[in-house]
Amino acid sequence: MASFTASSISFTPLSSSLNLNKGLAKSSVSLSINGISFPSHGLKSVSRRFSVSCAAKPETVDKVCEIVRKQLAIQPDVAVSGDSKFAALGADSLDTVEIVMGLEEEFGISVEEESAQTIATVQDAADLIENLVEKKGSA
Amino acid sequence: MRMQCLDTKFFTSSTSLAPIQLPSRMETHLWYVIPNEVKSEQLLNKYLEFLPKSEKERVFSMRGDELQKGALLARALVRTTIARYQTNQVSPRSLKFRKNIHGKPEVDWQQIEDWHPQQLHFNISHTESLVACGVTTHNPIGIDIEEKERKIKHSISSFAKRYFSQQEVQLLSSISDPEIQRQEFIKLWTLKEAYVKALGRGFSGSPFKTFTIRSVAASKEGIHLSESSSSENSDIVVESLEDSANHTGDWRFALLELAGSHYAAICSKNHPMKMSVWRTIPLVEDEYVSGTDSVIAVGGLM
Repeated sequence: MASFTASSISFTPLSSSLNLNKGLAKSSVSLSINGISFPSHGLKSVSRRFSVSCAAKPETVDKVCEIVRKQLAIQPDVAVSGDSKFAALGADSLDTVEIVMGLEEEFGISVEEESAQTIATVQDAADLIENLVEKKGSA
Repeated sequence: MRMQCLDTKFFTSSTSLAPIQLPSRMETHLWYVIPNEVKSEQLLNKYLEFLPKSEKERVFSMRGDELQKGALLARALVRTTIARYQTNQVSPRSLKFRKNIHGKPEVDWQQIEDWHPQQLHFNISHTESLVACGVTTHNPIGIDIEEKERKIKHSISSFAKRYFSQQEVQLLSSISDPEIQRQEFIKLWTLKEAYVKALGRGFSGSPFKTFTIRSVAASKEGIHLSESSSSENSDIVVESLEDSANHTGDWRFALLELAGSHYAAICSKNHPMKMSVWRTIPLVEDEYVSGTDSVIAVGGLM
């Protein structure tokens, strides 16, 4: 996501028109940097925690959402996004463990218990996954 | 209003909160609600009125109607049950809760005037289809419930190898029938959860690998539901693999089949553990169900 670190862009005027709490699924805002426009779905990963350089790719978030949906048998009309908290989706400790194991299988990573305990949202899981995949790749 | 009727169902109906007697040092009380039995919107709204703003927000932050109902029933059950144990009139809404240093929820007694608590302890657990609250005095309690039919998506043995102690892994892998293995896994999981909840440190504070739970008079197949008296006379105990100064010998467990649909594990230091179980709909009715088909001892009970 190197393009987002161009410091001359100010997200602030854009963010005020976005409903960051609800996710940006229906947003048709597009970001324009130096005349080049970027698709809006790239903004999905910019949530309350504005750590752009560490934010996981949308594809990773989507994959996590899919795994979570399956494990928790979530109704189709219930939205699951990066902001979604596992507890609010009805996950108990057994579910969380199964979700972590599912993510390990999907991404070919190994999650330590201490890290697993820090995962509270879908975004947390996606960020952790990309961290581990990156470490694995550079090992 | 505790009634000891073993042969017949006993209902008490009330439109308000009928007081109940605290459990003695040797007793454990278990109250449960079946969400499917609570259909009235009016009743659910009454429950909502018992919750402070922060708890209401938490209920509504749950994603989905059934999850919201479950969260609401859990808070309503805890508040109404604890209020009923008070000797003076305490409204469910006036109770304040806080977390102890480890994060375990407890009642904040200082906020209630004229109340001298007899060290009432509680713990909640719920699934989609059942909400339960265990109560003791003098000693902490932890409970965990799980649907009997819960399917595990990953292999039981990989689960066990990762999370359970060596002895527990050995016990589970010695079971050849996959269905029985799944059942024993669920029972063991609920027992371990109940223990860490009793300790008050939660799943992350007391890693499952650091202790072993086993049935002292168990056969090779584990803790079985059995007609013979030997399983009912067996004790379920915990051994710490880390710290021998953990005084694990003080903890006692009971494992039940509850309402025909759930395994319920209860952990406390009360010994012997005499359980009294009620099926309830707060503000509506209580049914004492100990000794009926709704409560079947699987192990560890007198």
